Amino acid sequence: MITTLLVQALISGLILGALYGLIGCSLTIIYGTMRIVNFSHGEFVVAGCYAVFVFFTATHLHPLLAVPLVFIGFFGLGMCLYFLFVPRLSRSDDPEVASFLTFYGVSLMAGATLLYFFEADTRSLNYIFRPSVFKIGSIFIPTAQLVALAAGLVIIGILTWFLYRTIHGKALRAAIMNRDAIQIVGVNINSLSALAFGLAIGLAGTTGVLLALVFPAFGPFSGIDFTLIGFVVIVLGGLGHPVGAIIGGIVFGVAEQVAIVFLPQSLSHAVGFLILIATIALRPAGLFGKVAMR
Amino acid sequence: MRTSIWIAFLAVSAVGLALLPAYGFSLAFWFYLLLWITLASGLNIMAGFTGYLPFGYVAFYGVGAYAAAVAVKMHGLPIWGGFLAAAAAGVALSLLFARTMVLRGIYFSIVSLALAVICRLLIAAMPEDVAGGSYGIALGFSNPLGAYYAMLALMLATLLAVTWLAQSRLGMALRAIRDDPDTAETIGINIGSARLKAWVLSAVIASLTGAIEAWYTSIVDTETAFNLLVSTKAVIFAVAGGLGTVIGPVVGTVAMLIVDDLIWQRFPILNVFLLGMVIVLLMMFLPSGIVGSLIRRKPALRRILF
Repeated sequence: MITTLLVQALISGLILGALYGLIGCSLTIIYGTMRIVNFSHGEFVVAGCYAVFVFFTATHLHPLLAVPLVFIGFFGLGMCLYFLFVPRLSRSDDPEVASFLTFYGVSLMAGATLLYFFEADTRSLNYIFRPSVFKIGSIFIPTAQLVALAAGLVIIGILTWFLYRTIHGKALRAAIMNRDAIQIVGVNINSLSALAFGLAIGLAGTTGVLLALVFPAFGPFSGIDFTLIGFVVIVLGGLGHPVGAIIGGIVFGVAEQVAIVFLPQSLSHAVGFLILIATIALRPAGLFGKVAMR
Repeated sequence: MRTSIWIAFLAVSAVGLALLPAYGFSLAFWFYLLLWITLASGLNIMAGFTGYLPFGYVAFYGVGAYAAAVAVKMHGLPIWGGFLAAAAAGVALSLLFARTMVLRGIYFSIVSLALAVICRLLIAAMPEDVAGGSYGIALGFSNPLGAYYAMLALMLATLLAVTWLAQSRLGMALRAIRDDPDTAETIGINIGSARLKAWVLSAVIASLTGAIEAWYTSIVDTETAFNLLVSTKAVIFAVAGGLGTVIGPVVGTVAMLIVDDLIWQRFPILNVFLLGMVIVLLMMFLPSGIVGSLIRRKPALRRILF
């Protein structure tokens, strides 16, 4: 009995963890390239949930068809936000604190906008998959979660290919490694950062589409929960490491879901945070990070 | 000279604020104004002077509130026992978390946030007869007027402490740690002991604030005592005024509360949106805060502002 629950928890932990990892990945791309703390990241994830909700209510097509549209739309939005805020923030004395507060303000504005257009009631995506549940042995897995996992893995695959095989992706990783060196080599850091920001926001929106498949409901102010998870995941994985963020996400997700099997609901939420504390105590820079101590 | 002007200003305001309740002004507004000034100043000690931004500052606030409530409700102590318990809890928790100060920048902030969430979840999970569970604790009595005067005393003590800190050797050591910790260590400053003192002071201010607020409202529960908004608002008010300055948190809190009040009165529908916009505009155009930007533009003002 307990093993069935455990296997179930491991699978849902893997699915949720992959999605948390995607949130963390996009967040760490922003932090790694620009040293900007995007506190409004969760709001864009929720906006992605709402986007697919609107898409589905309007067209009744398969939600995954919304992914390219959401990605392109949010990519554009991200680039606009970049040119609006980031050059000024990068020039300030303390870009981390300044960006944290600026994007906290943006998160309030985004949450209020979502509240204005969609009201305070939580929404959910009512797409019914047929069959609605897969049964493997004695394990039940909702099809929606499997679809989200598959789509998530495909996106992680494309992202990894982009980061490691294309010239733009390599430039992005180089910018994360050493911001000055890449400018010396001749890359325009402004357009690269704009690309990174757009990519990250586009990814956030896409993750929102997938999360709408997995979570039963979302509201205009659910963003803060995702932002918090995103930050815990990227610190766990090491700041500025996209792959580390994904692994951190999976660790966090699996820990949370397995903890639900053994502990009461409220305490299980603490387990993910405890894993973060334990990891930082042992490796202050996170699993894959470098240099975090003073 | 600027210290004397400031102390004189504090003395006059203290008298004025002490006499306020007699004239029938809204106690709630003034109590919370004093509360936020104290929290912002306490945060300023860590963020502005020492260079650590604890997103989880609310942990001390919540622990202080809960310590006072548990002491009063579960152990029958008078409210002064509650305050002592809160201060002790603040010291204990800050010593427990002191190890996190070896972390840098955003790592420290996020770990501090995680610790605050863990505190909240642990207290909520405790059995009801120990810490009230998730329903919270009702003190059974409250004394808004007494709490107001206690808050006034705490605020004055905090501001005097910060004023002293700004001009003491410890304050200089802290600013050195903020600006360049490695160099500070090289020239012989014991960064561990200096930042520990600032950390404990900052924590005790927050925990006493939490205890006094519990006395004001007579109810303590995990949602309000450990609400992240407490940390966030303290940070915003301190930054809006100017981190690292003494009068910054006061100016920032007053300015932001006035703005907040205006927005609530005039734009009941769009208030959160406008609040966000105000924060964004503030950070874009006045990144050093009101006092900080004034000092930058006209360095001569350093004679009266600090």
